[in-house]
Amino acid sequence: MQIYNDYKDHADFLTVYVREAHPTDEWQMKSNVKDDVCYAQPKTLEQRMAIANDFTKRFKYPLPFGVDDMANAADLAYSAWPERLYIIDENGRIAYRGGMGPFNYKPGEARAWLAGRYGEVKHPEKTETAPKKS
Amino acid sequence: MKRFLKWTLGVVLGLLVVAFGALSYLAGSPKDALYMVRYALPHMHRGTLKVGDDAPDARLLALDGQTRFHIRERTAGRPLVLVFGSFT
Repeated sequence: MQIYNDYKDHADFLTVYVREAHPTDEWQMKSNVKDDVCYAQPKTLEQRMAIANDFTKRFKYPLPFGVDDMANAADLAYSAWPERLYIIDENGRIAYRGGMGPFNYKPGEARAWLAGRYGEVKHPEKTETAPKKS
Repeated sequence: MKRFLKWTLGVVLGLLVVAFGALSYLAGSPKDALYMVRYALPHMHRGTLKVGDDAPDARLLALDGQTRFHIRERTAGRPLVLVFGSFT
């Protein structure tokens, strides 16, 4: 999210919702139960749309959003599942190809590409102030 | 010959146990490792795209459920950061 806020004036962003990674009827994670993110793998585009809308509303997700079709065309074209990052340049060519998630999903690399072109956006470190003694 | 087969079988089984142990460690538990093999690995692909390749196109559906658009429609003029993922 931070990378979007930092570079949205220079680059476009598009989130592509692909098939679920940890649905209840496949490999469900305990963390998803804890966070109340429990969905079965969508069998129809309407079900996929419903989950995508739940996601964007729950997190007030600001990035432009598109949903992959049930043939998983975008996923297959980009080998995107379960999560992956790419940057396409102005000429329509792959400028950055991220690794397969989750282990090689590294937003810092995409940020570095953007920083290399548009300059680094620095954020002042949050400093904790010691509580005053009474 | 029988001895050779026994050794071969033993080595193969040993390698399988080690591989499954490593996968269990990565996934979090033996159960997770089994689910990973069944549900995740068949869908995970390194892919053949390289930096410099033409970006593939695909048609997507907007959140309104009506509007359809192509990824390549969004690449005019500025770089496009593509973020693939799901809710879970």
